[in-house]
Amino acid sequence: MLLEVKDINVHYGKIAALKGISLEVNEGEIVSLIGANGAGKTTTLKTISGLRPLTSGKILFNGEDISKMPGHKRVILGIGQAPEGRGVFPGMTVQENLLMGAYTRKDDLSKDLAEVYELFPRLAERKSQFGGTMSGGEQQMIAIGRALMTKPKVVLLDEPSMGLAPMLIAQIFTIIKEINSRGTTVLLVEQNAQQALKLSDRAYVLETGRVVKSAPGRELLDDPSVREAYLGGH
Amino acid sequence: MLQDFLNQILPSTVGGLVIGSIYALVALGYTMVYGVLRLINFAHSEIFMIGTFASLVLLTAIAPAAPATFGIAMVGTLLLCMVVSAVVSGGAAIVLETVAYRPLRKRGATKLAALISAIGASIFLQELFALEIIPWLTDKPGRNQASAPRFVPRDELFHIGNAAVRLDHVIVVVAAVVVMVALDQTVNKTRIGRGIRATAQDPEAAVLMGVSIDNIVRITFLLGGAMAGVAGALYLMEIENTVFNVGFVLGIKAFTAAVLGGIGNLRGALMGGIVLGLIENWGAIFLGSQWKDVIAFVVLVVVLMFRPTGILGESLQRARA
Repeated sequence: MLLEVKDINVHYGKIAALKGISLEVNEGEIVSLIGANGAGKTTTLKTISGLRPLTSGKILFNGEDISKMPGHKRVILGIGQAPEGRGVFPGMTVQENLLMGAYTRKDDLSKDLAEVYELFPRLAERKSQFGGTMSGGEQQMIAIGRALMTKPKVVLLDEPSMGLAPMLIAQIFTIIKEINSRGTTVLLVEQNAQQALKLSDRAYVLETGRVVKSAPGRELLDDPSVREAYLGGH
Repeated sequence: MLQDFLNQILPSTVGGLVIGSIYALVALGYTMVYGVLRLINFAHSEIFMIGTFASLVLLTAIAPAAPATFGIAMVGTLLLCMVVSAVVSGGAAIVLETVAYRPLRKRGATKLAALISAIGASIFLQELFALEIIPWLTDKPGRNQASAPRFVPRDELFHIGNAAVRLDHVIVVVAAVVVMVALDQTVNKTRIGRGIRATAQDPEAAVLMGVSIDNIVRITFLLGGAMAGVAGALYLMEIENTVFNVGFVLGIKAFTAAVLGGIGNLRGALMGGIVLGLIENWGAIFLGSQWKDVIAFVVLVVVLMFRPTGILGESLQRARA
C-alpha cells in the first residue's frame, strides 16, 4: 500500500475538522474524496502533505510513519500536491513556477520539463508569462505541472476543476487520466463528483469530518443516496 | 533664496546620495523580512548598531598602525570592516530571529505579538549594549559617543560644478551599489533566492515544493543582517562615531525608505533610500539641516496618501491574481 491514513483527527483551535478519517491509496490507483463544502476534503489533503498537524492518528507512506515529518520533507519522499486555489507563484514566470517543483531535485530536469509541456502545450506557449497574469485554467495547469515536477509517487489534486469552463474541465480530467496511465498514483478531491467518480478506481464520501462510505467509483455513481446528495439526483 | 539653492544643490546631492546609500542598505533588511514573514522587524536598527560597533572594535585594534592614506592597507581595512560587520550583524540577526520571533511563530502568535516582541528586542539590545557590552568593548561609559579612528583620507577626487566629491563619498556609494547588486542577483538567480521569492509569494505552496520555511527565514535574516552590517561599517567610516542608539532615527528612516519604495520590493528599497537621502538634503537647503527629519517623514506621509503601496509597490510577492 502506498498511502495509508489511519484514524486521523485534526483540529482548528478547538473545532474538530477531521474526526477519525481512515483511507488507503494503492499504487497505480486513482482515488477520489467527494463530499460537500466543509466535509474535510481539503483538510485531509493538507494533513497528508504536512501543511496541517494532526491531533491523533497516523499517516503511513510506503509503510513509513510520516505523521510528524515536516511538509517540505514529504515532498522528497514522493508526495506532490496541486493545492486548493492553485497556489501559483504570481511573480514568477510559468517556467520558474515549474522549476520550483524541482526545488529539491538535483538530477536532470529536461525530460520532465518536456513532458509537462507536452501534457500542457498551452504552458509551452507561455513559458515566460508571469503566473499571476494567467487565466484560472492555465493556473491549474501550472499547479498540476509543478506538482509533477516534484516527481511524485502520489499526486494530491485539490479541486482541479474549480472555477473552470466545462470544456476545460473535460480537458483537465483527461489529463488526470493520462498522468495516472503514465504511472503516477492520484488522490483527487472534487466537488464535481460525477466526473471524479467516473474516473476513479475507488472513492470515499466525506461528511462533516468522517468517511461515511467507500466503494469503487462506478458503484458510487449508481448509489441512490450518493446520487441524491452529490450528483443532483439524476 | 534661489541663489542659495543653486549654490548648494550639487553639494547637497552628493551628501544625499551618500546617506541615501546607507538608508538603502538598511532598508533591504526591513523589506526582505517583511516580504517573507509580513513582519516589521523593528530590532533591525540594532542589528545596524551592532555592525557599527563591530567595525569600531576592529578599527580601534588595527588602525593606529595605519596612516589614513589611500593604498592597499586602506582598501584591505575597508574590506575587512565590511566583512566583519556583515558577519557579526548577520549572526546577531539570526540569534534575534531564533530568540524573539521563531518561538512566537511556532506557537501561532498573532502579527501584533511579533511586532511587540520586535520593539521589546530593540529596547533590550540598546540597553544591553549601553549597560554592558559597550563599556566592556571601549572601557568608557556605555551611553557616550564612541569615536572611530580615521582610516580613509578625505581627499577630493573631482568636482561636479561646485560640489567636491571625496574618496569616502565614492567608497560609500560604490560599496553600497556592489553589495546591493550582489543581493539582487542572489535573490533573482540562485536556488536560495527562488526559495525566498516562493516563500514571500505563497508560503504554503512553497512547502509543497520542498522549501523549508525555517531555513528560508533564517537565511533572510542572515542576508538582511549582513546588509545592515555593511551599512554599519560604511556609516562608521563616513561619520566616524557611533552610540548605543545610533540605529534609532537611522532605522526609522531606513524603514521609511523601504515603505517609500514599496515594502517587500528590493529595488524599491534601493530607490526609496536614495530618494529619501536626496529629498532631506535638498529640503535642508531651504529650511536648515535641523529640519531634515521633519522633511523625511512629511515626504513619507505625502507619498503614502497618494500611493499607499509605495512608489514601486510590492513585488517580492506581487498581488495575488
